[in-house]
Amino acid sequence: MPDAHALVNDFVIKLRKRKIEGSKATAKQTAELLRSVISQQRIPHINQSGALIDAVKGVGEQLIAANPVELAVGNIVRRVLHIIREEDLSLATAAIGGLGLDAGSDDDNDVDGDEHPVLSAAAVAAAARSALRPPSLQTLLEDLPNSAAVPHASSSGGDSDGKSKSADKTSRSWKLKHNVIEAVNELIQDISTCHEQIAEQAVEHIHQNEVILTLGNSRTVIEFLCAAKEKKRSFRVFVAEGAPRYQGHVLAKELVSRGLQTTVITDSAVFAMISRVNMVIVGAHAVMANGGVIAPVGLNMVALAAKRHAVPFVVLAGIHKLCPLYPHNPEVLLNELRSPSDLLDFGEFSDCMDFGSGAGSTLLHVVNPAFDYVPPKLVNLFITDTGGHNPSYMYRLIADYYSADDLVLQRKPASRN
Amino acid sequence: MWYRSASFILDKQQEERDAVARPESRLLSPTSPISSMAETLQNPNPNPKISAYYQTRAAHHAVVTSDWLAQAQAAVGQHPDDLPPESPSVDSGKPFSVIDEFNNWRKQPDLAEAVAAIRALASVIRSSEATTMMELEIELKKASDSLKSWDTTSISLTAGCDLFMRYVTRTSALEYEDFNSAKSRLIERAEKFGEISYKARKIIAMLSQEFIFDGCTILVHGFSRVVLEVLKTAAENRKLFRVLCTEGRPDRTGLRLSNELAKLDVPVKLLIDSAVAYSMDEVDMVFVGADGVVESGGIINMMGTYQIALVAHSMNKPVYVAAESYKFARLYPLDQKDMAPALRPIDFGVPIPSKVEVETSARDYTPPQYLTLLFTDLGVLTPSVVSDELIQLYL
Repeated sequence: MPDAHALVNDFVIKLRKRKIEGSKATAKQTAELLRSVISQQRIPHINQSGALIDAVKGVGEQLIAANPVELAVGNIVRRVLHIIREEDLSLATAAIGGLGLDAGSDDDNDVDGDEHPVLSAAAVAAAARSALRPPSLQTLLEDLPNSAAVPHASSSGGDSDGKSKSADKTSRSWKLKHNVIEAVNELIQDISTCHEQIAEQAVEHIHQNEVILTLGNSRTVIEFLCAAKEKKRSFRVFVAEGAPRYQGHVLAKELVSRGLQTTVITDSAVFAMISRVNMVIVGAHAVMANGGVIAPVGLNMVALAAKRHAVPFVVLAGIHKLCPLYPHNPEVLLNELRSPSDLLDFGEFSDCMDFGSGAGSTLLHVVNPAFDYVPPKLVNLFITDTGGHNPSYMYRLIADYYSADDLVLQRKPASRN
Repeated sequence: MWYRSASFILDKQQEERDAVARPESRLLSPTSPISSMAETLQNPNPNPKISAYYQTRAAHHAVVTSDWLAQAQAAVGQHPDDLPPESPSVDSGKPFSVIDEFNNWRKQPDLAEAVAAIRALASVIRSSEATTMMELEIELKKASDSLKSWDTTSISLTAGCDLFMRYVTRTSALEYEDFNSAKSRLIERAEKFGEISYKARKIIAMLSQEFIFDGCTILVHGFSRVVLEVLKTAAENRKLFRVLCTEGRPDRTGLRLSNELAKLDVPVKLLIDSAVAYSMDEVDMVFVGADGVVESGGIINMMGTYQIALVAHSMNKPVYVAAESYKFARLYPLDQKDMAPALRPIDFGVPIPSKVEVETSARDYTPPQYLTLLFTDLGVLTPSVVSDELIQLYL
């Protein structure tokens, strides 16, 4: 499949060169890429889901390695893997249910005869169900099948109904692929509409005559604020400019063009202004499993200021930003150091920064990190497309969206770092 | 103006006078509330005032004589399944006692209390003559109640019993099957549980590896088999780290742990318990085990954990707890004294005047806000997840 291969390589290069900006765009393109990978993947007769999962995992590893800081890539890969597992499971249970019904209709009068297949079907379904669930106390004592047993169970289900008709198999393999692609399409849809979903909740959070503080630029924040404005709320926005890229200027311009009362402040004025602020609303780069936030640089300071003055600190995040990893050492692992040209003009400082001529080491160094880590205790509320959540509730969403088996995916890229 | 009443002193004096007047009545009072169960009447616990759980722990983990160590080593060396667990069950005329069985299992230092409890309950099933599920359930309930009341201080014993009862009474695994196969299935699961507990430690050790980075200093309090496993795995993975061990008065469990770590060539430093705040600034993370994890997400652990967590919290150091999920208990302590006290003797080395009171409680409760993460075999959890898991199971 040269086509998918070329696409993947293309995307990897783009990621590596940091050509794609913003987690939403990355997430969407990742999902689209995976969709084409899935649609071009040839599916063997047995263990179809296994083949798909392997294919997606292989591509996913490449993508994550290309840009380990862009967590949205890994999130989408895990989401797609979860989708495949789910679809396979629902197909398997449907097939088994059909089998049970067939047996029932075949020998209606013989009750003892069809008791066994139904029993085994129920057992397989129960096993598969518990395998998809994250590990819990509830399943601790039950016969937990190993993760390797999942494809086994499903393929055995496929075999048993393949016994009756071989045509079923092809239809099933086609169906699995079809369903998965359908679900991935839905995921892409979700990602592209997440702004609207979040913005819908704006009126519940922004009240009349409030003062909102934000930092930097985020599409989600713009949509959120404008949605409140459209609902005839009048409020003021303080925009911290977000050095060194000054994305706040862009945001301020956009807000003014939509008729919002806007004040631009420097980042260093946040503490001075925070006592007049009713709520801090910001976007995020990624939300970690413990409820911590990887956010544009400067936000930790804003969060601390908000905490000091007991101002609610609200983070807007589409569900594709929800990452099932823990930030073990956020300053080191999940940050990116950008070019010093954001801070200093090369012309002015070219003498001090000349690595070539001097004794090898220069006195001037520039550190320009892209992200901050905001610990969960500084965050009051997350607003996602599914509603408002506490930081401590994040693990629950993760359990819903990702299957525990796929978290292993993280280990390889993490150790490669 | 509000003054603190001195009644607690006066009451105590009164109590002592009463006790001198009627010595036999005082002996009766602690046993009277526990009754009804046939097994509890012949309670083999020789001294109900001392926590059996902590006695065992002290025996297993405190610094001990070399011949005891050799003996223990021999016990560990044997595969747990090789050991014939047959207590006087069928052959002898003595009636089967779940507590004896439990104590039998408990003697292995590597076997967790909850596993011993579940194995003991499994042998109840094995020797049971019940013919219906309901009968078996009642019998099990009796046995687990007597186990629980035998040592109320052991949280993992209670949790293990509860978990197994929950498995027996409300599980989908038993549907559609006749009684005998259900029974054998229960026994089989209980046997496997030991393996689960062993695996749990491995899983926890694996999960925590990413949190131990090169060059970090870890403060450890008490002797926890899970924490030891974590550190052992980290050492095997060639991580470079340093461990500060608290002494762990009065049973000096920290000495034992430092012994074990020294064997692994991990740089280790011993602290007296009161030096924790002094050395906290060089610590990167605090690692503790747990006797029990309660519904609030807090932990109950060896005395001193609370103050270490407080110091760590005030100095912004993460506190990590390593605990197997069968230690999750349905308790909700509101404060330190809100638990059945687990007492143990404390040797001060010098005679203490009889009028001086000694705080002999063996454990304290650390509220969830002072804990950062819990490493369990269910994954890396925030403290608030614990209640969620428990609700899911016992609702």
